[in-house]
Amino acid sequence: MSVVKEVLEELWSMFVGDRRLTLLALTVVGLAAAIATAFAAYAAVASGVLLVGALLVLADAVLAAARKNRQR
Amino acid sequence: MIDWTTAAPAVGAAFVASTVEVVEAFTIVLAVATLRSWRPALTGAGAALAVLAVVVAALGPALNLVPLHVLQVVIGVLLLLFGLGWLRKAVLRAAGLMALHDEAAIFEREKAEISGEVAGGRSKDWIAGLASFKAVLLEGLEVVFIVLAVGAGRGLMLPAAMGALAAFAVVMAAGLAIHKPLAKVPENTLKFAVGVMLSSFGVFWTSEGLGAPWPGGDLALFGLAGVFLLTALALVGLVRSRPAEAHA
Repeated sequence: MSVVKEVLEELWSMFVGDRRLTLLALTVVGLAAAIATAFAAYAAVASGVLLVGALLVLADAVLAAARKNRQR
Repeated sequence: MIDWTTAAPAVGAAFVASTVEVVEAFTIVLAVATLRSWRPALTGAGAALAVLAVVVAALGPALNLVPLHVLQVVIGVLLLLFGLGWLRKAVLRAAGLMALHDEAAIFEREKAEISGEVAGGRSKDWIAGLASFKAVLLEGLEVVFIVLAVGAGRGLMLPAAMGALAAFAVVMAAGLAIHKPLAKVPENTLKFAVGVMLSSFGVFWTSEGLGAPWPGGDLALFGLAGVFLLTALALVGLVRSRPAEAHA
């Protein structure tokens, strides 16, 4: 059973290793999806929101980890 | 006929990502072989590869039943989460804020763990084989996900699988030739590249699935990769620690 547990833990950590990053990324995707659905004529805006949002999520995750590291 | 302009990013991402994972799995299989023998090491690895083959055989055809735009969104989001996670760690390692992956240290730790379990009275070959099985299965799952993810959105499973198989062949050939952990592989540089590629694929597929295609089609992937790379490098510069601050 320990192998199954380890596999499930590995799968979980693949996508939810950093909860804050996951939540923010999903929020960005939700926002892009809402824009693409509500304003189909401006679909390019949704792409832009997705890209800029992903970059901001990355920056937030790195800066948060760096801050935490320096506080230790 | 494969269009290599479209297939190249998928093959490249699968090759580089698989290289990292195969190096990690090889370290543990080699530790098992060194401590016991090649028999349990290869038996465990072979059993794990068989399980992975079953997973691919089951998931591959099932993916064809899912509507393309749904598949693109689901895989795009998973790739984005996976890619951003890898890129975050690679940036922190490049900046000296997180310890680098050390294959030689992992090799010694794995040997010590197996020795400890053997001392606990369990069957030596069983423990050694299980360690090899788990390593190949866990690292292989990531390879399977990457191959399915970068290949499924455009029907590029075969080229992506070829990229992963090429990585397997290269790492195994190098590993068996030098018969030591592949400690000199620039693993964080590869992880940096994989994080950039997977994040780019994630944004690309999610956008396409939402009905917002990128100008330039598949070529936009190169532009997205450039933007992620520059941002990640800028973040490394921003948070880079001085030697006295670095936590090993």
